Parts: sequence; C-alpha cells; structure tokens
Amino acid sequence: MPEPQLTPAERAEILEHHLHDHGHVDPERMARATAEDESGDGPSTALGARVIARAWTDPEFREQLLTDARAALREYIGDQIVPLVVLEDTPDTHHVIVCTLCSCYPSALLGNAPEWYKSFEYRSRVVREPRQVLAEFGTTIPDDVAIRVVDSTAELRYLVLPLRPAGTDGWSAEQLAGLVTRNAMIGTGKVLAP
Amino acid sequence: MDGVHDLGGLHGFGRVPVEAEEPFHEPWERRVWAMLGPVLRHTSIDRFRWTIEQMPPAEYLRSAYFERWLFAIERLALELGMVRSDDAPDGGFTSIVPGDPGRRRFALGDRVRTANPVTAGHTRLPRYARRQDGTVVRQLPPWPRATLAAATGRYDDGWEHVYSVEFAAGDLFGDGDHAVSVDVWESDLEPADA
Repeated sequence: MPEPQLTPAERAEILEHHLHDHGHVDPERMARATAEDESGDGPSTALGARVIARAWTDPEFREQLLTDARAALREYIGDQIVPLVVLEDTPDTHHVIVCTLCSCYPSALLGNAPEWYKSFEYRSRVVREPRQVLAEFGTTIPDDVAIRVVDSTAELRYLVLPLRPAGTDGWSAEQLAGLVTRNAMIGTGKVLAP
Repeated sequence: MDGVHDLGGLHGFGRVPVEAEEPFHEPWERRVWAMLGPVLRHTSIDRFRWTIEQMPPAEYLRSAYFERWLFAIERLALELGMVRSDDAPDGGFTSIVPGDPGRRRFALGDRVRTANPVTAGHTRLPRYARRQDGTVVRQLPPWPRATLAAATGRYDDGWEHVYSVEFAAGDLFGDGDHAVSVDVWESDLEPADA
C-alpha cells in the first residue's frame, strides 16, 4: 500500500506544530502575519502610490528618492536591510522590473507580489519580449520609447518612478496618489491621464 | 546551479496570467509565508532560494508558488534542527557582519564581460547573461556573494561590490530593441576587452 500523500495544508500544519513545540514560532506573530486584513499603514499599493505622488510634487524628495531611496523611504517603511533603488522613467525610457530566478519584489513598500509577477510566463518572457508582454497588460509602449528590463538578481529591490500624466497640473499629492497603480510602479502599466 | 528555476528567456510559456492578482489563494499559504521569517533567523535567504532550486525540475514546474516555499522551509527546518530542538545556529539576517569589499574595480559606463560561474552551488547570474558583454549602469552597495551565503547560511564573509550590467537584447536573444540589466557581484566581471 502506498503511503497516502499529505496535502500542502497538512504538511504546513505539521511543520508549524513542530516549530511551535520548540519555540521557533510565536503564535501571536503568526496570527498577525496570517491575518487577511491588509488595510492600515503597512506595505501596500496605497503606500507606494503616496511615495510616487510625493516625488511628483516635492523636488527635494524626488532627488533623495532617486539617489538614496533607503533614506527617503525611512519615514514610510523604517530601516530596511535590503536596499531599494528607484528607477526614473522619462519620456523616452520605460523601465519594467522582473525577477527571472525567483520572485524578488519591492514588498517592503508594496506588500506581497501578485500571482502574475511570480508566474513562469512573466519570468521567462518579459526579458525576451517586453513589448509583447506589456501589451498583454494593455500597456502599449511607442516604438520610439526605449524599454529597459531590470532583472532583480542581487539582494536589492527596484521600484519604478513612472511619468506623471498630463492634465494633472495643480493636483495635490493626495489626488495624484489616487492615479498610481501597482503595475505602474513595476512597469507593466503606466499612470493614465485622468 | 543550472536549474529549471532559471527561466529568463525560455520559450513556450504562453500568455501572462495578468488577471491573477491575489498573492494568496488558501489559508495554508499565508502560514507558510509567515514561517519563512523564523527560518531566516538561522540561515540566509540565499540558502532558501538554493533549496527551492534543488526541487526536481518536473516537481518545480508542477507546484504552486507556496508549495515551492513549503518544500524549502520543511527541508531547512530539518537541516537546522528546528523541528527537534529549541536551538538552531545563528544565521541569516541576524548574522550580518559588514566586511570590506576593497576598492571598486569598475566605473559607470565601463564595458564588462560576465563570467560563467555555474557549479552545483547557488549562483545569481542567470544563464541568459553569462559570458556576455555589457555596460555598467549602476554601482550598487556591497553585499556578500550569494554563492557563499547560500553555502554557509551566513552574511559574515564574501562582501563584494555589486553592479547593474546592461546588455542589448539583440546580443542576448538575437532579437529585440530593448535593454536588459542584471545585478552582478564584482568577481563575476572582467573588463570586456581583456
């Protein structure tokens, strides 16, 4: 008789039980970490959007974000062990981020990576054919705009500072933040004009 | 190691599942996610990645994202004695001991050639970017070489300068008008004309 196969859920429960027995997991921290509520001030698309909108409206902050993101982001996410680098899109350059080897993602700011970012399809294809992949997201990059694909292969995370859309003169940082999408900060999207 | 995890540039994976947004699908996935933290008090994230890479290739491709995490966390918890003892070795982010990377060897704009550093151990230089000529586009903060941190589980040795090296897609894949950068530890680079 073959051994019945345990499901991943059963294996995870057994593992957690052993780790708990030997004091390696703190039940309260586990409960917090596994709570499904991700509202509040923690890492999220909304937090990233606030950072981008401030960079669009505060030139000093923008400069610091591009040259020393760790210092610029300290008030948002505290001191991070793993550095973050912010890549500035321009009218003739569009950046897009990937981790072909695993799933490195600016989660300290944006929270957990969406499923598609970790997919074999995205990881294999975006380095080879970014224009086609971006088109699948509904994002068209004109032929005269250079695409720079950035593969996160060391202990460092990237975030894209997208172009501020036209038609937003005089907008407050708060209004602008409402336009910034998660995909725009990864480079699979653009921030669209209102 | 040359593994199936090294997906960059592979053909045949099809359309990106752009609608797949949710990072988690089932409650056990959150629990597995939350168990990585305790493990990384005793080993390096490089060791975690290298352990995932050791999944048999067919199993890797068949498994959901957090099943691959579960595979590695189970193995590491066993390896580190965490399932049978309250003690476990120091490691990971608790053992960061900054080292001296020496003088930076490469400047922005330098043309460099990547090595072919593959062994059965861990490497972060993807197959598509080995033995290629590229340009240094970012100088990044020093970090312990991933190969060593994966072998030891610690960050107390092997500090090197790190660089973003950018390649023309045409050189890497024979086609494409975009650029692709990877982050490379200094000892995997030589001057391009050497």
